Amino acid sequence: MQSSRRIDPSDGASSIFNGLRVAVTGGTSGLGVALVRELHTRAAHVAFVARGRERVAQLEREMAGTAGVVGDVSRKEDIHPITLQILARLGGLDVLINNASHLGPVPLALLADTECEELQHALDTNVLGPFRLTRALLGALAASARDGRGALIVNVSSDAAVTAYPSWGAYGASKAALHHLTRIWDAELGAEGIRFLSLDPGDMDTPLHALAVPEADPATLKRPDDAAREFLTAIAAALPGGRLASSLAEGSGALDRESGALTA
Amino acid sequence: MSPATHPIQRPRDAKLLVIDDTGRVAHAPRTSFTDYLERADLLVANDAATLPASLTGIHEPTGSSVELRLAGTDAMPPANVRRFRAILFGDGDYRTRTEERPAPPRPVAGDRLLLGPLVAVVARAIGHPRLLEVLLQGSAAEIWEGIARHGRPIQYAHMLSPLALWDVWTRIAGPPVAFEPPSAGFVLDWQLLGAVRRRGIAFATLTHAAGISSTGDPQLDARLPFDEPYRIPYSTAALIRRTRAAGGRVIAVGTTVVRALEDAGRHDGIVRGGEGIARYRIGRATRLRVVDAVLSGTHEPGTSHYELLHAFADAAVLTDADRELAAAGYRTHEFGDSVFIGKRRHLPRTCASDTTPTGGPTYRARGRIRRPANACSVA
Repeated sequence: MQSSRRIDPSDGASSIFNGLRVAVTGGTSGLGVALVRELHTRAAHVAFVARGRERVAQLEREMAGTAGVVGDVSRKEDIHPITLQILARLGGLDVLINNASHLGPVPLALLADTECEELQHALDTNVLGPFRLTRALLGALAASARDGRGALIVNVSSDAAVTAYPSWGAYGASKAALHHLTRIWDAELGAEGIRFLSLDPGDMDTPLHALAVPEADPATLKRPDDAAREFLTAIAAALPGGRLASSLAEGSGALDRESGALTA
Repeated sequence: MSPATHPIQRPRDAKLLVIDDTGRVAHAPRTSFTDYLERADLLVANDAATLPASLTGIHEPTGSSVELRLAGTDAMPPANVRRFRAILFGDGDYRTRTEERPAPPRPVAGDRLLLGPLVAVVARAIGHPRLLEVLLQGSAAEIWEGIARHGRPIQYAHMLSPLALWDVWTRIAGPPVAFEPPSAGFVLDWQLLGAVRRRGIAFATLTHAAGISSTGDPQLDARLPFDEPYRIPYSTAALIRRTRAAGGRVIAVGTTVVRALEDAGRHDGIVRGGEGIARYRIGRATRLRVVDAVLSGTHEPGTSHYELLHAFADAAVLTDADRELAAAGYRTHEFGDSVFIGKRRHLPRTCASDTTPTGGPTYRARGRIRRPANACSVA
């Protein structure tokens, strides 16, 4: 699929990231780690969450000053321990990026062949996880908004959230739910100064994509670093002092409804 | 009063006892709390999230089972993650009333407490063998992870089942610095906050590291509350000044907010943003300089929370209120019912008698707490 550019890649607002407190879930691979690196480079104060302890520790060593938190956002019991560690180590939070995603059955399967447990796991990771983590962090985010720092939640979406691709049922349905949650959150909490964005990075060369489409030629896929830079542009635009493009101001309008088939 | 035994933050049948600024007492459903607020008022709440501050483990030198309850700190994280005041309990858990818990071993400086993934080294006893200064070992990341994963919320025997962290975090919980929940804030949810904002009532937060509320030891309890650090955002300080200038009231959600704001404004009544340590007890001798009314839980006489309420209302009024609370079946403790108390109005006698129709009981149709009538204050 052609990854479409929806976000102006010219940033020019990197100073907005200096000292910005950002948490990224799924922060040790794919788009997540690209976001963490880019944010770290721009002097943001970054916490990242992932399940693998060794990889978390390795990245933490690599990027001095980042806060690695070991946890699984799909597990209800992990949410408050994760939240506590993020807030304790960053001293507050301005931006949450719910990036951790579960693909569903591997290899991809028709819905009729998808086990209930596989759908459940996709919903736990892609819908309930972001919902719970957002709720737990909302007090801190609202405080940041009241203090004029802004408060933003970015949920990583996909064109599979709007287009009915056969064999992407668990993933697509869960991302559709996340996308709609994002829009409702945004409608409900805008008056508190808390913004929600649903962003579709496009088809990237990531471990998740390799699981889904092992035969895809990486050279034809978007590089996660490029997607990360686009995300940061959108984030900068949505924070106070940023210029929020009208397409984003609609509340998650960035999800591209025109993009082509996700299956290569 | 009997305790609320289930961790429901906003029970539909929660009650509210309202004591207005003339000392008059009325009953209301707590869901009507916002009816007592007026345009231009400012609601200030404590946004501290509650740490899972109960850490079980072993006193290494004796091998005895212990529970260490982190109880206070002198500095907010992230500046401080290591040094805590803590209360040591012997074997057992919250199901045994704290007064009846077996005594812990008597630790000496240098003793290690092995608390799951955490190690605490006893620095000293602070004037009582069970009140310790402890130093948690390891990196900040290790300490936070250890507390987050191993700790349990501090709780007491009146609760029927173990509390989860989500039971004790308020909707507005942010910095994890409280040792017990700032439970007056349980009344708040996003629906309520949206509704008050639409009515022109401002909302602000501060962060106050609420300490432990009870130790089971009368000597130790008499030393509560410990010094508690707080942080007042500049935006909150600005809102307080604006509210004052516009003639609105500053309404504290919880006694910790009273403690922080009155400490910050103790010199001239002006609250500035920044960090501080609330060291002073607030009680009947305190002249409140910042806060006009407080929403609080129902507290038993003898506790420091109860003592604080005397800064708002006369002892005789509070004694009457206690009778009302008992007679009407109010529930107490962190998930219990609430009181809303306006700061007493000292009327010149001539004023009170001359203006009985307007200067007397100040209830409107719905029994609001009202600001002093101008007619009276200028008399």
